[in-house]
Amino acid sequence: MKRCYISDEHLNGFVEALMGRGPVIAPVAKQSRFVFEKLETVDDLMLDYDTTILPPKVAFFPTKQELVTFDGKEAKSCINPTDQVLFGVHPYDIKGIAMSDKFYTDSHVDENYMANRRATTIVGSSVQKHYKHAFFGSVCMEVEVIGHDMFLTRVAGGYVADVLTDKGEALLGLGQFGDATDAQAGEADQVNQAAMENCPEKLENTSAQIRDKMRSSFRSDVWEELSEDCFSCGSCNTVCPTCYCFDVQDEWGLDGVSATRCRTWDSCLTAEFSEVSVQGGCENFREQRAERFRHRFMRKAAYLNEQLGGPACVGCGRCSGACTADIANPVVVINKIMEQ
Amino acid sequence: MAKVKCAWFDFASCEGCQIELTNYGEPFVELLQHIEIVEFREVMTEKTEAPIDVAFIEGSFTRESDRAKLERIRDRAAVVVAYGSCATCGGINALKNHTDDYKQEVYGADADKPHLDSTKALPISAAIKVDYEVKGCPMDKDEFLGIVQQLVHGTAKVYVPSYPVCVECKRRGTVCRFDEGDYCLGPIAQAGCGAPCPADGIPCEACRGMVQDANQKSMEKVLMENGKLPERWAKQKTRMFTANFREDA
Repeated sequence: MKRCYISDEHLNGFVEALMGRGPVIAPVAKQSRFVFEKLETVDDLMLDYDTTILPPKVAFFPTKQELVTFDGKEAKSCINPTDQVLFGVHPYDIKGIAMSDKFYTDSHVDENYMANRRATTIVGSSVQKHYKHAFFGSVCMEVEVIGHDMFLTRVAGGYVADVLTDKGEALLGLGQFGDATDAQAGEADQVNQAAMENCPEKLENTSAQIRDKMRSSFRSDVWEELSEDCFSCGSCNTVCPTCYCFDVQDEWGLDGVSATRCRTWDSCLTAEFSEVSVQGGCENFREQRAERFRHRFMRKAAYLNEQLGGPACVGCGRCSGACTADIANPVVVINKIMEQ
Repeated sequence: MAKVKCAWFDFASCEGCQIELTNYGEPFVELLQHIEIVEFREVMTEKTEAPIDVAFIEGSFTRESDRAKLERIRDRAAVVVAYGSCATCGGINALKNHTDDYKQEVYGADADKPHLDSTKALPISAAIKVDYEVKGCPMDKDEFLGIVQQLVHGTAKVYVPSYPVCVECKRRGTVCRFDEGDYCLGPIAQAGCGAPCPADGIPCEACRGMVQDANQKSMEKVLMENGKLPERWAKQKTRMFTANFREDA
């Protein structure tokens, strides 16, 4: 791995050069929070963000995506990728993207996702401020941070830039990069280590211990108790970097002939997610909110572990913050289950 | 193909949904290629007593004397569509439902005039069979056009979500009202509108009604704990548009 350095005074020039090549999707401020959005000016870039409302996968998998249009005669694919840079992605979100990549390629290559994903160069960045519910230092430790092309770590006077792929290497010519000194490289390692250790929230057990305990707690009454205040509002799912379910709907034109097939991020906490058509009627295979609440934890902490090599949770803490009833926090729920 | 004969009727309402419809502009004009308007007080003077293909009804059912009028519409309409909050859940008119002194409060000295008599404000479905509902205050354009499109062309059923507004806020990356120190009814409010109000910094008031199995107890708690509303307000908040969904309705 090549380790470079770019000073603070040259960072904006680098980002502007990226913006000159194509869209740069990066964290920008939105009232009291942050969102990944296309940069309009380099001044909007907020590399010291804590976390964003939605995970960075929005850059290549929008919450609503057109799949196919139909004009009455012919169906046309909506796949139309644009080369872009996804800039300033925190390490836990890089893990989340790598998991999404796996979900969308494992048994079937989803071109509507992958075409955009391939056209995206990812520049990660170190965590400078922790989100109040972050616990990425104690979860999913067995999964490596991979899949990005370059990684910037905040050090004194600038950033250490780790170059990880050819796509990352190709960016070097756009900025005033020099080689990182041993001291700068050492400082970068320390900064990233400290970010892991300083998370405000913490799981107390290993992924394997949690997985086994989750499975054995399936019939526990605790799920009923924990989900009493749940709104089935799906906020915990929708902000999750590793949730990947979607719903497909056809939208007809007023002429009754043309149509667009769209997919939208879906959420297993909502009641309609588990509704199925049965003999002309409707059945719900997870009718109770406690069942849906439990299902999310089973998916994240037990069911997907084999496929991913670790839990489907990267410790961003978005779900904890998004839950108005304050019952979705994985640290609180998992630590409680482990104490049982 | 013969145009579909459509008529518009209004009951207790501000008629704002009709205005909203005429504001749609181009899609409304496109719609006119497929429908024939046979009665629509807001835009024309003609009326009809003939059979209608689709009757659109705005407003709530709040006078027993309106029942016969509604039944007459039902009898001659092949399809009845209730649209707007008033027609689909009683709307803001249902604010009065738990009181008995609203007439004095609103009309003062005129309170006893007979034409002001009314009973509980209820959705149109409380009086007659309604085939389709388009919710919202005002109703949602895309949903309305989608349902009319479906009625005109007989295409697949229009999907209307059953989950709360929070889903739509999150999807558009809106900052949660509670994160801004505000209150919001999004967690129990029926989605389908695309959550425009919180995106503009306004709390959701659940104008489309509550979701099925709305967790009203939890909502009161969240309004008090996160929204900082005093207990009395937190308990009354859902009377605005969703009085008929409350456990005490």
